[in-house]
Amino acid sequence: MGIDRRTFIQLVTGGVVGSLFTPVIWKSLDDASIWSQNWSWIPRLKYGAITEQASLSKFGASPCAEIVKSVGGSPYLTKGNGENEMSKGGVDPISASGPQLMYSPSRINGPMKKVGDGKYESISWEDAEKMLSEKLAAVKGQKGKLAVVSGDNTGTTSEVLSGFATEMGSSDCYLMPSEEQGAAVALSSMGGKGQIGYDLDNADLVLFVGADAMDSWGPVVRNQRVYSESRPTGGEITTKYFYAGSFLNNTAAASDKWIPIVPGTGAIFCLGLAFHLLKSGASASVSDFDDFKTLVMSRFTPDKVEKAIGVTGADMAAIAKQLSSASAPVVVAGSEFGAGAGAADVIAASAVNMLLGRINEKGGMKILPNLPKAVESAIDRSELAAKDFAGYLAGIAAGKVATPDVMMVYAANPVYSLPQTEAMASALAKVPFLVSFSTFMDETASTADLIMPNPTSYECFEDAQTPYGVGAAMLSACAPVTEPMYNSKATVDVILSVASGMGIDLGYESAELLFQAKAEKAGADWDSLIEGAAFVSDSTESGSIKFAASVLSKAVSMPKGGEIAFAPYSKLINGSSTMAIPPLNVVLVSKNELYGKDLLVQVNAKTAKKLGKSEGAKVKLSGAGGECVARIHINEGVMNDVIAAPLGFGHTAWDVYSSGKGDNISKILTVSTESGTGLSVWTSSFVSIA
Amino acid sequence: MEEKRTSKQCGGVLPFFIGVLASLIIGWWVFPQVIYSQKTQPVDFSHKVHVEGEGMDCESCHTFMEDGSFAGLPSNEKCAECHEDMLGETKAEEVYVTEYLQKGVEVPWLVYQYQPDNVYFSHMAHQGFECTDCHPDVGNSNTLPTYYENRISGYSKQTMKMWQCERCHAEVGTSNACYVCHK
Repeated sequence: MGIDRRTFIQLVTGGVVGSLFTPVIWKSLDDASIWSQNWSWIPRLKYGAITEQASLSKFGASPCAEIVKSVGGSPYLTKGNGENEMSKGGVDPISASGPQLMYSPSRINGPMKKVGDGKYESISWEDAEKMLSEKLAAVKGQKGKLAVVSGDNTGTTSEVLSGFATEMGSSDCYLMPSEEQGAAVALSSMGGKGQIGYDLDNADLVLFVGADAMDSWGPVVRNQRVYSESRPTGGEITTKYFYAGSFLNNTAAASDKWIPIVPGTGAIFCLGLAFHLLKSGASASVSDFDDFKTLVMSRFTPDKVEKAIGVTGADMAAIAKQLSSASAPVVVAGSEFGAGAGAADVIAASAVNMLLGRINEKGGMKILPNLPKAVESAIDRSELAAKDFAGYLAGIAAGKVATPDVMMVYAANPVYSLPQTEAMASALAKVPFLVSFSTFMDETASTADLIMPNPTSYECFEDAQTPYGVGAAMLSACAPVTEPMYNSKATVDVILSVASGMGIDLGYESAELLFQAKAEKAGADWDSLIEGAAFVSDSTESGSIKFAASVLSKAVSMPKGGEIAFAPYSKLINGSSTMAIPPLNVVLVSKNELYGKDLLVQVNAKTAKKLGKSEGAKVKLSGAGGECVARIHINEGVMNDVIAAPLGFGHTAWDVYSSGKGDNISKILTVSTESGTGLSVWTSSFVSIA
Repeated sequence: MEEKRTSKQCGGVLPFFIGVLASLIIGWWVFPQVIYSQKTQPVDFSHKVHVEGEGMDCESCHTFMEDGSFAGLPSNEKCAECHEDMLGETKAEEVYVTEYLQKGVEVPWLVYQYQPDNVYFSHMAHQGFECTDCHPDVGNSNTLPTYYENRISGYSKQTMKMWQCERCHAEVGTSNACYVCHK
């Protein structure tokens, strides 16, 4: 039997028919379709053991205690640490994407030196430290030649920086402006020492004056957790919240009562309340009580207060009565956007708390002790917090203060976030040698002469002590969750190394030993801290505080009125003073704040009509320091003659997720000097609109 | 007439059936041999030694996190709780201790049921099933099964296919909506 053409065709046909009853065709097609999803350039998940480790996030405005989940040693998710009092299990909107921020395209992947305008060259850590050491050696012992600024108010790293500056003979060590600055100056003016805190957990009536507790004031996440615990869904409400401010922000929206007041008039509002409390017989056994009473009863009468801030005497009396009749009320003052409020607001709010007998009481305002210093030569924390960096830079810009030869910037972005931004940036540009210890390529790093990247808090030892606003002194710490992803080095280790090379002994050889010593001095157990527990002290400062009536009489003046007041606000979704919009938050940005690349500012219909502007109209906002371009959005949650605008936009550095979107309204904030304290303030800014 | 004669010469329709038969043999026997490559695990791990010898159970090493997510295969850190140094005299343990543990290298275990990255699978949600409903019954075995890797798709032969997930979901009344498994 031979094989001819017909036989072959029959054989093949049989083969084809037979193959239809085998998995060959179907499985090959199926596998090929799967294979097309496995091409080598498609990102693959990492596999390995999933682990959890307690850590701290310092991405947001206030430190956040977290549990970080890792797979095969790589962090991929974070969640709140409910065992830690510092943030009570909450995670803020920036820290929520902390593990993703580790992989941000804005990360600086190694030390770099500037070789031209906007051009950088990678160098080794040895060369970078040598370069820094040489510049520092040239200014050692010379006053005014070295300046240091830190954006981390709570970390012991700032102690190392201030201790180093002191040993170098410099008194120019600063923290970036924050709510804590005004509070520190206020407490000092009132004759107190330590740090102001508020026991919101145990209060039954909280009056926030300006302080946007849900988005920018104090320990934001902790505030949110305390709020939710006091108002459980379907459960008994244990705490009432009132908010006095110019804009229906998240705090106002969450409060039982919103009292609209003009921006920057928190002190007048508080002193207006004091009038009614004094009238009803409230007093305090403090040395300057009589001076305070005279001041309030003469200058803050209901008619004058109503004229200044628009709240009627009857309304003020009603609020004062509710405060008096509450069993654990507390008044908290601050800025609507986390900085620039000055000391008068805090002093005035403290005065109300004093009249209510709420100082160092459960659920009241607390005077907390500073934890012991780990670095002997460091500036006392209260003293450091009170120092005025904005005023220092403004002095340099105006030529009234000598420009330092070297400025070191740690975890801060002053080129972007200070008021009158362009003037402040020009002052920084005058510094011959600017060093940035930044994790990300922010606006300040982008202009620095030397960049020495600091790892994220997931990649190094870190700690956080008593964030401003919490009701008890506390300390948290963390160990690295993972090895540094890039060629970064903890700033503490850089400073210790450089100091050692220059013959300066700060007392420690490594960051780990420093943070351990801090814990030991505070009386905390280091092992417990890095396992996620917070050390909490129940002690408060003894001794009374006074009303600082003489400061109030100078610092508080009635607004002239008739202008459009500017009310910036800060939302963590849009980033913070140190962080740009995280990539994962871009989709959460409101279309009423950013539409395309246009920033939206908000006015109510009456103000819009007065300005002759309609919804979507393009406007130019002008302040003392510069101009901004924006579109109008009509929002009835804004007071008359007030224009509300979001901070966090208009970045020129960072990455595609945040750069070139909207405008930076910090440019048009106007810095003025608070009479009586000399502190730079910028909550009372006015704008002209064209 | 000529064509009819030729067919008869070749056995009528016999070639057709030979073709069918050959195809079936190739399709059901040869093809599976060709499409999968065979791999052995990097360490000759004995579950039996641990389960019967040491009285351990599956959860001793294959644990869940507090939030219910599967903690993954045990890492060196877990194994080192007992095997910081050699406990016995087996070659397998020596390989593990010297080649992986002491060098700080995690064992690249071949996982029989890894799902594609676009599939979300919760072990906690499937707790009611026996482990062996999906996984090889290795608990009482001294050896690990041969790992068959699909030469085309790259997945294990035992990786569960979508139709299997869907069928089970349908049988137990669980939703088969896309987002249940694809987040």
